[in-house]
Amino acid sequence: MELLAADLHIHSVLSPCGELSMSPRAIVARAVEVGIQVVALTDHNSARNAPALAAAAQAAGLCALFGLEVRSAEEVDVLTLFDTPADALAYGDWVHAALPSVPCDPALFGDQVVVDGEDEILGFEPHLLINAIEQPLDAVCAEARRRGALVLLAHVDRPANSVLSQLGFMPDDLPVDGVELSRFGDEDRLRAEHPALGGLPVVRFSDAHRPGEIGYQQTQFEVAAAGVTEFRAALEGRGGRRAVPVRRALA
Amino acid sequence: MTVAELGAALGLTPCTPVSDREVTGAIVSDLLSDVLANGAPDYVWITIQTHRNVAAVASAQGLAAVILTAGRAPNEDLVSLAETESVTVFTSLQPTYTVAGLLYGLGVR
Ligand SMILES: [Zn+2]
Repeated sequence: MELLAADLHIHSVLSPCGELSMSPRAIVARAVEVGIQVVALTDHNSARNAPALAAAAQAAGLCALFGLEVRSAEEVDVLTLFDTPADALAYGDWVHAALPSVPCDPALFGDQVVVDGEDEILGFEPHLLINAIEQPLDAVCAEARRRGALVLLAHVDRPANSVLSQLGFMPDDLPVDGVELSRFGDEDRLRAEHPALGGLPVVRFSDAHRPGEIGYQQTQFEVAAAGVTEFRAALEGRGGRRAVPVRRALA
Repeated sequence: MTVAELGAALGLTPCTPVSDREVTGAIVSDLLSDVLANGAPDYVWITIQTHRNVAAVASAQGLAAVILTAGRAPNEDLVSLAETESVTVFTSLQPTYTVAGLLYGLGVR
């Protein structure tokens, strides 16, 4: 077993709200600098920068997962994390098929840039990625799970785009592996207010949109190796594996 | 009816400069995706959402004004983007239902 510091909620230049400095290569460099051992990209409704992350992570010898932060029809954000870029891209195709064809005005929302592992611009995503897709929350989770993803409800303590802000309650039959807290969230208070969370584990990740935010929230996984199966076992506390959410001061 | 006339008639509190744009209709929604699909130029949008993307969506759809209801205050970045994009933002202490009813009564259909 080893203890791996993971930050699995990071936005690249593909997210309209992500800073232009957030290329996969820059994300990997910053992660290494702050002692993160596993990173994941979770751009809104798209995995098109997953291949760039794979290349940049491999060049730096860093472990990576490949994800999307999907916005369901109810405007609930869901983190879906896959072992390979191909799996993330295939699920991304399913997501894209349900994304409305609303154009992204970069002046209002920001640029949506597709890059390679060496910061070269490959193109721009034309459709507004922060829109909600035309698939309900349960289908977003179930389809990701069916395709092998680790599924986490994003920043559940936030007043917008979280399961609790949009539905007002925690459904008891969602196929998810855990819930993420933002830096404002307190686990004891959350569990007291929402007993329906039951035994669902809590994780913390940065939701970084700027390099300086990477790793300031993280989850440390005691596992045999990085990957969806091991991380799920750690969240469930099986086989001597465990997951510990950590919140640090923002640099 | 103009944005300024509407604000005065409903007793709304402006958070940005108030325009004289002519209002052509209204939409009530707390889902941004709904407004992206069904908003129209020069509409007024009534919502309880208060984050920055409210202003981005309002501008993208060419809306004339946004009314934040139930005493909710806008985030600072919503106000600054709305100012840049010349979208008037009001707040109201009244709930969405009441504001929408009053607006309908004023002839905005
Ligand atoms: Zn995010």
